[in-house]
Amino acid sequence: MSFPSQDRRADEKLGQILRRVGSVRTRLNSLAWQHAIFYSLAIAIAAGAAVFAMAYLLSPLAFLIGGSVLALLAVIGIASAVSAGWRMRKSAVNAAAIADDRAELKGRLSTIVALADIERRGPLWSYLVEDTLGRHDEFSASKIERRRVSRAVYPLAGALVLAALAFPISKIKRPPVITPGNGQDDLTVDLDDLHLRPAEPGDESGMQVTADPATMRRLEDKLARQGAGGADTNGNSLNQLMNRARDMAGSLQNKLTGQQAASKQRLNLRLADAGRDQDQNEIHRAPDTQKNRHGEMAGQFKQDQPKSHHEFDLPPEDDSRQPKSQPSPGGTGEAGLESNAGKDNPNKDDSATDRSIQQSGENSSNGGEAHGIGADPDSLFGAPATSKLGNEGFEIAIEARPIDHGAKGAGHAYVPPKVRTPLSMNQEPDEPVTRAAVPADDRTTIKRVFER
Amino acid sequence: MSDVQAETPTVADFARTFRRIQAEIHKSIIGHEQAVEELLSALFAGGHVLIEGVPGTGKTTLVKTLGLALNLSFNRIQFTVDLMPADITGTRVILSGEDGRREFTFQPGPAFCHILLGDEINRATPKTQSALLEAMAELQVTVSGTTYRLKPPYFVMATLNPIEMEGTYPLPEAQLDRFLFKVRLNYPDEAELTRIISSTTGPEDAGIEPIFHAAEAAERVEGLKRLVREVMAAPAMETYAARLVRATQPQNSRFVTDEAKAVHDEMVNRYVMFGSSPRGAQALILGAKVRALLDGRANIAREDIEHVAVAALAHRIMLNYAALSDGIDAAHIVERVIKSVRAAKV
Repeated sequence: MSFPSQDRRADEKLGQILRRVGSVRTRLNSLAWQHAIFYSLAIAIAAGAAVFAMAYLLSPLAFLIGGSVLALLAVIGIASAVSAGWRMRKSAVNAAAIADDRAELKGRLSTIVALADIERRGPLWSYLVEDTLGRHDEFSASKIERRRVSRAVYPLAGALVLAALAFPISKIKRPPVITPGNGQDDLTVDLDDLHLRPAEPGDESGMQVTADPATMRRLEDKLARQGAGGADTNGNSLNQLMNRARDMAGSLQNKLTGQQAASKQRLNLRLADAGRDQDQNEIHRAPDTQKNRHGEMAGQFKQDQPKSHHEFDLPPEDDSRQPKSQPSPGGTGEAGLESNAGKDNPNKDDSATDRSIQQSGENSSNGGEAHGIGADPDSLFGAPATSKLGNEGFEIAIEARPIDHGAKGAGHAYVPPKVRTPLSMNQEPDEPVTRAAVPADDRTTIKRVFER
Repeated sequence: MSDVQAETPTVADFARTFRRIQAEIHKSIIGHEQAVEELLSALFAGGHVLIEGVPGTGKTTLVKTLGLALNLSFNRIQFTVDLMPADITGTRVILSGEDGRREFTFQPGPAFCHILLGDEINRATPKTQSALLEAMAELQVTVSGTTYRLKPPYFVMATLNPIEMEGTYPLPEAQLDRFLFKVRLNYPDEAELTRIISSTTGPEDAGIEPIFHAAEAAERVEGLKRLVREVMAAPAMETYAARLVRATQPQNSRFVTDEAKAVHDEMVNRYVMFGSSPRGAQALILGAKVRALLDGRANIAREDIEHVAVAALAHRIMLNYAALSDGIDAAHIVERVIKSVRAAKV
């Protein structure tokens, strides 16, 4: 027989035990949630850092594939982390069982928690409560679970370190941005020499195309023709899908790397129409005629001859930029630019092409004494030139769009120099020596001299 | 004589009494500590014990000593092939009364006692063996249509001689299942054997001192048995015992219908013909309760269940011929089952 006061005391003791078990449970559940949150954050941060680095290091297609796989893995990882955290939650009975195991209480706590709500309690119940409460020091929350912070904080710290490492990597890999005002932002291209092809999405050069309305119309016609021709080759849906995917990946890359804004001001492409009067072709930058063609064009330009430089009315700033923009002969090649001179002008002979390349690397003049320097001795002699050598241009095939994306990784943008420096009043244009017929008897001697 | 309190026993009383009985038994039984503990556990859990051991390992002495220590009535039956059921339960005989009239009177057999030793029970026929079934399970015997109650506590200890199998009758599974524990007595080691020699070949008696007064011994033992039943078992412990029992049942058994949450061990599927019955789970919990009281607890723990698992389950598992040929015994199976269930997260 038990008295009410005895029952009350027994209930108080039971309450003390249950509160302690509750605190153990709270700590265990806190760790469970920390596990879920920390792991989710770690996965998200690590995946974000990896995507960020991939945006700099990979091409759009590789970035798309890698990023998609990484995103999928991250989603799975986060889901499993949350699921694991959810499963790690402990009920009061489970928490008591864990406390029993860790404090070696041999099932005392779990028995009390499991049977606390049962109406009929046997004669040994009070003994069990007393016996368990006598060991209350052994099952405090701090003894059962010492950790307040989940071990999942280590992966989170690792992910943060990874993210910190990814940032300088991206800075190292980031290509130099050509900013306007450093003398490398203007380019004049002849419309006839402009080769159009679909640009890789994401390779937005930020090119600004300016021309007079007639030239712009011609450009649009040309674009339309090229587009119609390209539709046959790229007409299949797979390519379109691929292009769209690349486009999407490229734009995402640009957003991640922040390159889009910078590239918009990178280059001004001034179109000239060779079929029209040179004076009319000279196009000044005019805000009302500017039109953006970001990432749509790649082409070649034809550098005008010095002979006609005096005819150009160049803005003063062009003169100031010229010294900076003089390319070295190797610089053209290093910029990854292709020489298409022979292809674009099949009527010109090889020696002429060789001469023009040589001259372009040495100075801005051509013809005269320099004519023929560096030519192959086997092709020294030919028929006397009938055309005026001073009118011969030289061609350097380049891509009009600088390649400065991390995805390309090729390196430096090439901006061709301005060569149309006006002559001074006292200066006469160079007069190249006309090629004359060489007597057959002297040819061997001349050839030996050149070979030497 | 006893100084143990006659009132309602406490956990401490139980442990103290248990240890005293153990100590008295070990005055004459050298070694066999685990066997003695299991024997007493079965007694206080209200079950019966099957003792298996080679000759000369002290089976009969153990039972005798227990009877003396508890100060309870003790009988011994030597089972032989010509033993009849009536030789166990008793029979009606014609007796002359004081008035000279002759009438049938029930003459109780050796089954009417508190502690019964059935020595070499496998030498009697199954019919005679079955005579013990009713007494063991229901504490009563029926003779000529009349049922006679047995006085509690009633504790049957049967011995088996495992090496003389010729002319023996293996116990039916139903009867095996009625024994709470099966205790194995192995050969003593050298030190134990030396002590046995010195203690049994001298002039002095072992001097077993009864723990209880004869008048109250039965009631005291019953009180301790009731206390065992009061020990609490959390639902998780009962579930654990159930899983252990289910894990002894082979997966391909036609008697197993519900596979949900069952733990299966490859060894069980390979060597076990029939697993433990539900009585095995009861034996696990009851034996664990005794263990808990001995440890001063009012609740059972997983360790308690595992401690008594071999004694409670091994004799309930029927092995197949593959086990016999591979030398696998049931105790090994039970140990494997414990590991499997412990490792499984059902």
